[in-house]
Amino acid sequence: MTAVQNPPVKPVRGRGPSVVTRLLESRRLGWGGLALGLLAPFVTATPYALNVMTSAAVFVMLTVGLNIVVGYCGLLDLGFAAFLAVGAYTGGVLATRLELPLLATVPAVVVATVVAGVVIGGPTLRLRSDYLAIVTLGFGEIIRIVANNLDVTGGPSGIYGIPGLLGDRLSDPVVFYYTTVVIVSVAVLFAARLGRSRIGRAWRFVREDEDAAEASGINTYRVKLAAYVAGAVWGGLSGVLFAAQLSAISPASFTFLQSALVLMAVVLGGMGSTRGVVVGAVVISLLPELLRDLADYRFFVFGVLLIVVMLLRPQGLWPHRSREPDDPATRSTAGADDLPAKEEK
Amino acid sequence: MNRHTVPALLPASRTTSRRVALASVLTAVALSTTGCNGLLGGGSSEDGDKGPIVLGMNIPLSGSSADVGPYMQNGAQLAVDEINAKGGVLGRKLRLQVEDDACDPKTAVAAANKLVAAHAAVSVGGYCSGATLPTLPIFDKQKIPMVIPAANSNQLVAQHLKHVFLINGTGKQQAAAAVAWLRKDGARNVAVMDDNTSYSKDIADLTSAQLGTAGAPAKATEEAVNPGESDYGPSVTAVLKSNPDYIYWTGYYQEGGLLIRQFRQAGYKGKFLVGDGSVDPKLVRIAGSPNGEGVYATMTQTPQTTPGAESWIASYKQKFGAEPGPYATQSYDAVRVAAEAVKAAGSTDGDKVAASLESLKGFKIFSGPLTFTADHTLSNGGFAILTVKNGEFVLQDSLN
Amino acid sequence: MSQLIWNGLFVGSFYALVALGYSMVYGIIKLLNFAHGDLYMLGAFSGYATLGALGGAVPGGSLIALLAVLGLTMLVTGLSGVALERVAYRPLRGAPRLSLLITAVGASFALEYGVRLVAGPNPQVYPVRLDGTGMSVLGARITLQQLALMAVAVGLMVALNALVMRSRQGRAMRAIALDPKACLMMGVDVDAVISRTFFIGSALAGAAGVMSGAYYGKIDFLMGFIIGLKAFTAAVIGGIGNMKGTMLGGLVLGLLESFSTDWFGGEWRDVFAFGFLILFLTVRPTGLLGERVTERV
Repeated sequence: MTAVQNPPVKPVRGRGPSVVTRLLESRRLGWGGLALGLLAPFVTATPYALNVMTSAAVFVMLTVGLNIVVGYCGLLDLGFAAFLAVGAYTGGVLATRLELPLLATVPAVVVATVVAGVVIGGPTLRLRSDYLAIVTLGFGEIIRIVANNLDVTGGPSGIYGIPGLLGDRLSDPVVFYYTTVVIVSVAVLFAARLGRSRIGRAWRFVREDEDAAEASGINTYRVKLAAYVAGAVWGGLSGVLFAAQLSAISPASFTFLQSALVLMAVVLGGMGSTRGVVVGAVVISLLPELLRDLADYRFFVFGVLLIVVMLLRPQGLWPHRSREPDDPATRSTAGADDLPAKEEK
Repeated sequence: MNRHTVPALLPASRTTSRRVALASVLTAVALSTTGCNGLLGGGSSEDGDKGPIVLGMNIPLSGSSADVGPYMQNGAQLAVDEINAKGGVLGRKLRLQVEDDACDPKTAVAAANKLVAAHAAVSVGGYCSGATLPTLPIFDKQKIPMVIPAANSNQLVAQHLKHVFLINGTGKQQAAAAVAWLRKDGARNVAVMDDNTSYSKDIADLTSAQLGTAGAPAKATEEAVNPGESDYGPSVTAVLKSNPDYIYWTGYYQEGGLLIRQFRQAGYKGKFLVGDGSVDPKLVRIAGSPNGEGVYATMTQTPQTTPGAESWIASYKQKFGAEPGPYATQSYDAVRVAAEAVKAAGSTDGDKVAASLESLKGFKIFSGPLTFTADHTLSNGGFAILTVKNGEFVLQDSLN
Repeated sequence: MSQLIWNGLFVGSFYALVALGYSMVYGIIKLLNFAHGDLYMLGAFSGYATLGALGGAVPGGSLIALLAVLGLTMLVTGLSGVALERVAYRPLRGAPRLSLLITAVGASFALEYGVRLVAGPNPQVYPVRLDGTGMSVLGARITLQQLALMAVAVGLMVALNALVMRSRQGRAMRAIALDPKACLMMGVDVDAVISRTFFIGSALAGAAGVMSGAYYGKIDFLMGFIIGLKAFTAAVIGGIGNMKGTMLGGLVLGLLESFSTDWFGGEWRDVFAFGFLILFLTVRPTGLLGERVTERV
């Protein structure tokens, strides 16, 4: 974080930034979150709690990946679990067949997800956004069904006995949890930096106004493809962690429901806002576990909660606030609250 | 920029009230969940050798297989209550802790860890093979024996884990029973159909492999359908093109009922054989009254077909106010087997319990006397042939 | 061959009926109503409940009684759709479209598991069956009931098309689809028209639900998910927002599924259907009958 940044311009609001707002906008907050994650096992370290927290961390990485596609670039992807599957299966199959530690498969996983991203994104990114949604949904289903039907992926029961990241050495839950948290933090940090980089600005431009972006000399197709491929790589790498955690994967993990949950985490947290989607991911992955005791009511409550939260905060729990006040993003993400203002003018 | 300052008053107050409402909703949720069980505490921990012996059970209570979970829970609870009424095991009561695995590997792993955290002595759950597989290393590492009542993919035992035991007949045994019956009933050309899930495809593949070999009927075709749909017209047409005189369906009763009906409507005159997942009176009701009659099934013995089990059915009905459903008996037996092993071991130590499971000899369960093979499966799958008479499955042939 | 075509058309007409609701709602407020498939499920269950309440009063399987139940169910699901719009979608008008999508997914969960709480997780069996012996027409096996169901489906679609193209109501709907703000200024009661759109779309889904329950016999609380997905696909193939295109899309998808099952086997069917969809869209991005729409952000 030593690189010189633009001086942080506080978002302009009706009243001055309150203490809470300033705290929420603070740069150090990310480190605070990381510290919280690192300290959590000292509070509770039952196998269950560790497992749930590890799942949450993996889910954070997946969500940050989708955030690049949906949040930064505005491409609606309803089949993101496909990349999780590509990563998990590539890593899992190679690791079990060649008896490698899972970490050694990472280069292959990156290649496979980049190829998958280009194959899926290539023909479809010229489509209108709603069609893109159905096409990605279709690809998600295709990947799952193919995994279900092929022998190399173990058919419907999947593959099992996947070694840990470094063979059996990292299989202790506590060690694995810390490894995961570190890897995920690096991934999150990197994604956030990517969002503020040159290409990140291009992505936001494309999201806000594709025609204007095109007119000012951005090759929108290539920019969108870059976002798609970046998201795919993040998704694939979280697939490797996913496989390492579960040690067995099957097509049942990569259904449409999974894709919907990831998307929900992004939107719930606040599209394009790294902090927001991290919080969204943690909420979405912990909520079903917290509601476990409600048994039959669990998913019913989950559905109702989603509606309620969205009604109360349509722009997400913790929306992205642009640093440049004139950025059109302020307008669109500020959402319903600003509508009367526009009409008065 | 002025745009933002103008509406400050009204929207600001609205935002505040929204924030308050949101906060109160979230707090309410947090309270309601923490109130029960501690935030991530994973349930109450029984201390040492004093409290009840916890039997953990992972079953689907949500998701696509949610309908089977309650049957299994009830079956297991019935056994727990019966054993507790007789004073429990080793002077301690049994307590059943049920967790939802949603038939999803990730949820199942979380649930398994929760059972570990709750100090489960034995796991008596496991329905979907795909969701049960990733839980094996978790229980095995903690030396918690698993008596798996329903999931029966060969991959569960292929790893030869010390603490994993199956008390449902395996796919191999079921396929053998199916082929034996097809031969006996004079089938000539058999179409095998599955629903593309691990359990069903396993049986279908193993059956297909035996068809066409010496003495066995010919294989017409093997076809898979997608579970959860209503219209199987295209698959029906495709299968009928191969002119089968016998159709073996290895999936579950929902699709099975629809398939039987749609085959009959399409003019199919041959016979049906269904796997144990389809043995449910609802199969007949979904198929419609004339269509369901005479359907054969490969099935381990159920209370409905076991002489003298009327009292079991009666006590189940009295307790839960409903007919027992699929895998209720296996779950009931899993609890009894687990309790017996703990009793024989004289402690809840995982290694000792596993050892006493291995040395069980002829323990009576619904599918027959239980002695585990070296693979930790049933020595005798206990598969028999049932048939539908007046809307009920009754014993046709015990295949001995 | 003719059997394959007939199978495809029959399933396709169900898809079309459900897809119409998707397409209408999308056309007017650009919302992918994910809960639409669950209204189909709700229709099946409310029809089941109605038939159960009528008990012995219904002479077994008489088509007239079934039509009455059909009408009642359409009313119930239609009103549910309106309520859904009022509670979950209307407060979010003007919010980012993705948050609407999330409430839709939330509504879908709530509907599915709400029904599960009421009716239980087990599949239910319809008390009334449309059972019939088949007859051979041009080499395909067809039952009278299938013909009747298709006639009802086609009738509903024709009526809908007339409503949208001929009536004042329909004109208002089309106008809102083009420019809601201008309509507001011209004195069109936009909220009321959107409510009506939801009513009609949901009623059609409910009708499809009852018909499927009565024909196939089995209903369960997750039955809406797959058909919702298929209907969505059908609507996109045909050109989402376009009535005739949507109906055509449903039939095309039904035929595609029927033939791909024959060629590749049931387990590869959806791969083929979705693969075709993707290839098709890259060649013709607006669907069969969809017009070129410039996208507004």
